[in-house]
Amino acid sequence: MERLLITGIAGGQGRLVAKRVADEFDVSGVDRAPWEGRPHRITVHTLDLRKKKFEDIFRRERPTAVVHLAFVRHFRADPSVRHEINVAGTKRLLEYCVEYGVKKFVVLSSSYVYGALPENSYYMDEDTALNVSRHYPEIRDLAEVDTLCTTFLWKYPEIATCILRPVNTLGYYVHSAIGAYLSLRYVPTVMGFNPMVQFIHEEDVAEAIARVLETGLRGVFNLAGPGALPLKAAIRETGGTAVPLPEIAARAVLGRLFRFGIYHLPADSVDFVKYPCTVDGRRFREATGFTPLFTLEEIFSSVRR
Amino acid sequence: MAKTIKSRVQHSERGAVRSPRKRRPPVRPLPDLGGPALGGELAGAEAVAAYPSLETLSDLAGGILESLAPRLIRDLNHEIRTRIAASPIELNGYGYDPWGFNTEVACRILLICSLFYKYYFRVQTYGIEHLPRGRMLVIANHAGQIAIDACMIGTATVMEANPPRPLRGMGEYWLPTVPFVNVLMARMGGVVGTPKNCVDILEHGEAVIAFPEGVRGMNKPFSQRYRLQEFGYGFMRLALQTNTPIVPVAVVGSEEQAPSLGNFTALAHLLDMPAFPLVITPFPYPVRYHIYFGEPMEFRGNANDEDDVIGKKVAQVKKRIHDMIQTGLRQRRGIFF
Repeated sequence: MERLLITGIAGGQGRLVAKRVADEFDVSGVDRAPWEGRPHRITVHTLDLRKKKFEDIFRRERPTAVVHLAFVRHFRADPSVRHEINVAGTKRLLEYCVEYGVKKFVVLSSSYVYGALPENSYYMDEDTALNVSRHYPEIRDLAEVDTLCTTFLWKYPEIATCILRPVNTLGYYVHSAIGAYLSLRYVPTVMGFNPMVQFIHEEDVAEAIARVLETGLRGVFNLAGPGALPLKAAIRETGGTAVPLPEIAARAVLGRLFRFGIYHLPADSVDFVKYPCTVDGRRFREATGFTPLFTLEEIFSSVRR
Repeated sequence: MAKTIKSRVQHSERGAVRSPRKRRPPVRPLPDLGGPALGGELAGAEAVAAYPSLETLSDLAGGILESLAPRLIRDLNHEIRTRIAASPIELNGYGYDPWGFNTEVACRILLICSLFYKYYFRVQTYGIEHLPRGRMLVIANHAGQIAIDACMIGTATVMEANPPRPLRGMGEYWLPTVPFVNVLMARMGGVVGTPKNCVDILEHGEAVIAFPEGVRGMNKPFSQRYRLQEFGYGFMRLALQTNTPIVPVAVVGSEEQAPSLGNFTALAHLLDMPAFPLVITPFPYPVRYHIYFGEPMEFRGNANDEDDVIGKKVAQVKKRIHDMIQTGLRQRRGIFF
């Protein structure tokens, strides 16, 4: 049986992936937080990725496959810590993968790396430049991680590296900024803007990762869900009420709330509710035959208040 | 009417799925007031849907409007809805196509457009039977300071063509940054004019309209009227790449709707707009539009050829449009008739 190491296993997505592949792989995981009530055949090391002891796990367990999910995607932490975990943590993990002979490496990036820009095509393909840092520098580390992994993909042809860029992920287990945003009773939007947004269910993301592990797929792939709809329709479907604010007000309010540590989302994230950041999932579909199981309706009913 | 009933059924079905804890009152279908619905579906409108109380109010207002609207408008609305329903556009369960086209909003805008089409600009079309089935690239001359020509061509292909063909517009890159306009553009079927968008839409089998002159043509001064400006080459490369027939279209009349004396470049830069024409009329003149649809032109070749090779093909399209414009100018009896 192949030995699989999942970083960030105690997070929502990590748990789903671990449970999904537990029959086919000998699963172990690393996370800063423990996973209470995990299936007993899954071992979890409560450990920080930045610690020296992390290498011991590779020495001891010799994993043949790695799924990298350990990212800080929220803004509650110190930005430098966030950057260190995301970029330096990934860099170190990649070095261990080479050193200890890992055969498959899957990383869960994000479609946000393309950035939400007015001139974006609907349905950007994987060759689109990672433009997020132009207007939203706070999450440039995610673009750096993506680039790091893409370079790794070309540098080590013997390792089946797969970079997945899923769209907005919703579900019961996964905590995401978009999930928190849609769970508000009154959802602030930008007046006069209503971009198309795409969603995918967390179980479908787990399924996609499992498919990649099973097939040893290599490449960069967008992971699109069942379809797109306007942001305000999504807000309506999840049971919220859209409150359109003029853009200046939205930015000022969000900026102040962020600075005083009340609401942890930088003002620059406003672009993601203004402009589309929708991706073309064709390439992944053609490579694996993957079609999302959950429809938009089901995705929304899983997060409806 | 069939489409209206269908979308209402979808509305109520979706209402049933929602959890009972919902505080918003469910959308009730309007009482049938005889005749096709006008604005009865206002509940679907973007801004209105956000407020629970407004939604019911707008339902009520829609009902009143419907009963008050003149026969003429009701019939026109009915015709538009039937025609849009017969057009080959695919919508998802929420009533949107992948690029944000929405029947409800599009029908309402088309209603306004076709009132202008019929009674203000009194558009005459020629050769609309030339429209091919399947994907096509409609290439037209651009004039008149605001894109009324695009609206009129789009209305013509819905109201006069068989089967009706809603056109997908390729917008300027700055349009998505304009509040409200960007939403309307998407709901009517427009997208930002990136090559990827155009290829995706053409491969989906739809009709795309493009103005290769762009702002150069639209905002040229009155002294330059009916002189085709330099054509961009992008449309030809896309047509070659996707094997799409090009339908040349000549619009006669648009040049006189809003004569411009010149361009206020400094103010345009200040406002981040591509041009700021100095127009002497606050509202377009009621000129008569003549729209000539030419026979589809098929081109074969490599989409990545040098500009010289592509330019020759573009020149053929430009020549055809130029000839059609000249014929149209000779044939028309006057600017307003």
